[in-house]
Amino acid sequence: MRPIGAENRKLIAEGLWQSNPVFKQVLGICSTLAVTNLVLNTVVMCVALIFTLSLSAFTVAVLRTLTPRNIRMMVETLIIAFYVIIVDILLKAYWPEMSSSLGPYVGLIITNCIIMGRCEACANANPSGKALLDGLFNALGYSFVLLIVAGLRELFGMGTFLGLTVPYFSGPYWDKWIIMVMPPGAFFVLAIVVWVFRSIQTAKENKAK
Amino acid sequence: MIREKPWFAVAYMFLVTVFFSSIVIGLTQLTRERVEANERLAFERAVLSVLPDIRIEEMTRPKIHNMFVETIEEPNESSRNAYVARRHGQAAAYVLPISGQGFWAPIKGVIGIETDRRTITGVAFYEQKETPGLGAEITKAPFRNQFEGKVIWPHGDPIEIKRPGETLGENEVHAVTGATQTSNRLEIIINKALERWRDQSAGEGGGDQ
Repeated sequence: MRPIGAENRKLIAEGLWQSNPVFKQVLGICSTLAVTNLVLNTVVMCVALIFTLSLSAFTVAVLRTLTPRNIRMMVETLIIAFYVIIVDILLKAYWPEMSSSLGPYVGLIITNCIIMGRCEACANANPSGKALLDGLFNALGYSFVLLIVAGLRELFGMGTFLGLTVPYFSGPYWDKWIIMVMPPGAFFVLAIVVWVFRSIQTAKENKAK
Repeated sequence: MIREKPWFAVAYMFLVTVFFSSIVIGLTQLTRERVEANERLAFERAVLSVLPDIRIEEMTRPKIHNMFVETIEEPNESSRNAYVARRHGQAAAYVLPISGQGFWAPIKGVIGIETDRRTITGVAFYEQKETPGLGAEITKAPFRNQFEGKVIWPHGDPIEIKRPGETLGENEVHAVTGATQTSNRLEIIINKALERWRDQSAGEGGGDQ
């Protein structure tokens, strides 16, 4: 395998950590709030997002020299919608239960700002390989934060993890925090997660100085 | 440069749209049969799940389909528009399809009714796009189980959905907390279907046979 170049390593670190989509760019968090009350739903949403974000970034980058500047956002939206509809069709055909429990949220990935954000910020002006990598690692950076939020919400709100029982939390001593599964719970958990990650980030930066 | 010409933008957008749409249309066609089978199965699953003494949670897809074919009969003259569940040749219950506008999109479901044409054996929904965690709770056991054993009122509204916490009569159930709109609309959907069915089958005495 070819060793990862310094430039690529920087790209990976930025996507996952330094400019993480959720706690640094604060983009695309609408779906963070909507689907994170069950870990399983979140996993599926994250896989869908990773697929859509990397491939749309790649496609936008491939077409970048051809696409006229003034209609580029139209083309980008079309490409994003294309990949999202593919995910939607596949879910409907092969995993109908998941498709119905995610309801309209799969379709709403189209309007997830992080995808358009990466297309505009990176894929638009960079070669396809770099755009793919940028998309992939931004999606992964987004996903791991989402999974933390979902894990906390399901654990506190339902006393389970991925639907499985968890010692103590599933027992009678844990009084389930219903608010965690309801929409407001997402705001609380997201705020705390962002706070923790940002504190770690600033602490590191201060040390580096 | 050709990219700057106004007609190029139009032609380019047209071609890109045609290209991506054809792939999506092709994929939809390829999976159409499967998606339709899934929808059919969701309906059959709903019908079977409102019947008493049938456990379908553990059943495989073909088994559910076979059971539906074996036990459920199409609506006949005396059952009006309700499906008839048979056991040992006898009518064992009626399953009345219901549908109407929900908060976001149409809600479709079924109500199981005993042969006395008054006692409800269960409700299930096989198509809805209500808010996950709020309106969509109508598809979950805590809400649905309330209907079991409720009695359709002979005059006025057959069923009433009351605010959470209120004491309930024998034709009343509790709404979903935080989903007033869904609950109100569902009450209308259920009552419209039940009222029509009750008034049509009034005067015919008990069940058929």
